[in-house]
Amino acid sequence: MSDVSNSDTVSPPAGDSMQEFYQLQRELLLITLGLTGIIFICVWYFYSTNIALNYLLGACTGVVYLKLLARNVERLGREKAQTGKSHIAVFVGLIIVATQWNQLHVMPVFLGFLTYKGTLLIYTFRSLMSTPGDR
Amino acid sequence: MNPMIASASVLAAALAIGLAAIGPGIGQGNASGSAVEGIARQPEAEGKIRGTLLLTLAFMESLTIYGLVIALVLLFANPFA
Repeated sequence: MSDVSNSDTVSPPAGDSMQEFYQLQRELLLITLGLTGIIFICVWYFYSTNIALNYLLGACTGVVYLKLLARNVERLGREKAQTGKSHIAVFVGLIIVATQWNQLHVMPVFLGFLTYKGTLLIYTFRSLMSTPGDR
Repeated sequence: MNPMIASASVLAAALAIGLAAIGPGIGQGNASGSAVEGIARQPEAEGKIRGTLLLTLAFMESLTIYGLVIALVLLFANPFA
């Protein structure tokens, strides 16, 4: 076991260690946008423009949700004692609009929102595959 | 809408979101607490710990979201109405 209290170890400044977190955020955003583009084109081709736009609305809200969650995690322990719930409010607003507005359907919007989950799965599997010797 | 169906839907919505929030709530609290403790112990690993926390919170919160969707659909787009 490594000795964390060793005085020889020089801890990098907080900004350096946070680079990894910002890199993760960027990577998640890029993967989500890529997935959204691919699925949007597939839905447009196999279903209709209306369903594809519904999907796109859900996916964009998913991106906003992920950004808000990341901001909450970044602030955790610094400015706030606990994670906020603003990201949940975004999702609740989306579903309420989807159920009330006749042009929108709940399922494509919800599945679009879940694109971020696909991103997380891809990222997790990729990091598992890329670092087999770390553990 | 039939008052019986309406009251059952409201009850089901309340149970759906209430029960769906218990497990992830406990999990998120534990994860966040442990992450903050880890950052306090090893500030040099802050980025890594926060990144892992982001992934785990997103995974856990999706469980609450499933319950939330059921509750909102029952309240605003009830298929049994």
